[in-house]
Amino acid sequence: MNLMAEILIQVIIAFLAGSLLLGLHRKVMARVQKRPGPPIVQQLIHSLKFFFKETAFPKTVSKVFYIGIVFILALIWVVGVIVGPVAKDSLLILFGVYAVYKIVEHNSGSSSGSPYGKLSCVRAVLSAATELPLFAAIVFVYMVTGTMNIGEIITYQSVHGPLIYSIPLAALMFFMLILTKSPYSPFAITKDKVLISGFETEHFGFLRGFMLFSEAIAWYVLLWVFLTIFFGPLNAVGYLIGMIVISFVTGFINATTPLLSPNHSVMTQITIGAICFAGTALMIFTGVVA
Amino acid sequence: MVNQKITCIILLVLSTLAILACLVINFEAWIVYAVAIFGIPTWILSLGLLTMAKPKPEDVEERVKEPFTGY
Repeated sequence: MNLMAEILIQVIIAFLAGSLLLGLHRKVMARVQKRPGPPIVQQLIHSLKFFFKETAFPKTVSKVFYIGIVFILALIWVVGVIVGPVAKDSLLILFGVYAVYKIVEHNSGSSSGSPYGKLSCVRAVLSAATELPLFAAIVFVYMVTGTMNIGEIITYQSVHGPLIYSIPLAALMFFMLILTKSPYSPFAITKDKVLISGFETEHFGFLRGFMLFSEAIAWYVLLWVFLTIFFGPLNAVGYLIGMIVISFVTGFINATTPLLSPNHSVMTQITIGAICFAGTALMIFTGVVA
Repeated sequence: MVNQKITCIILLVLSTLAILACLVINFEAWIVYAVAIFGIPTWILSLGLLTMAKPKPEDVEERVKEPFTGY
């Protein structure tokens, strides 16, 4: 197939699937809290609807920065789709994508000139300090498989079985990262409701729709990476079931867990990350993992 | 506002042409990646800036002040 056609198809799949999964996530949360909740397609409809909503640029924003940061958010997750589902290239590039994503959260908050955005931008630095070490679970994937290339990791798992069985604590670290990025997460300190919508507060109308587009792709890519590097070679049905299950589980956790304060959130993530890191390292160096 | 509209139309046409060119012609992978990485977000951004509704002239002042509830 033509490479550009493949990229376009994967970006569209990522957007549609990501939006529907986030809609499912919201529905699960509502049902757990005994509310009917919006339809599953609501997230998707919102993303498209905002493209036609009235949009104005507030007086105090840095206009180029304010629009440019939304462009960069979309750009990095298109890179995520290319490196992941399309090319099955290096995990290190995806680590870089995630690092830039945290910078985008920071800059999006500061570009608006709003106090809510600025507070969220400070918290983005705090959360980056814990989320990037959680993404470092890929180090253990490298230590076991001897490669950072996603295609080769899939091949390794087709011979030796899924990595979830050999390094479960590393998988838990990555799951913590996914949980952190899910909406209304107990660790979502950058979008705490006391900050309205955090770094997104002053991005409304079309720009919010563009952000929702990128976030749907981000959710899809993160789930895809998790399933690919820990659950071995999967077909389309396997990915579909896996993504639905993870969205369901994170929705249930988020509906039943209050949002933590920034210091508690950071300490909890660091503690869980450190235990999983030490545990996995111990398993590898003592020869439990072949 | 007129300048913004013209810029958006130019960007939309350029990104569409670049993406279509990559669909029709088999360029080297790095060229296709570069076009996809910059072309897809540019296409959406320029399209969105054209399709978004603009505030009425008498409401503009209110709209650009309105979001800053904290100030």
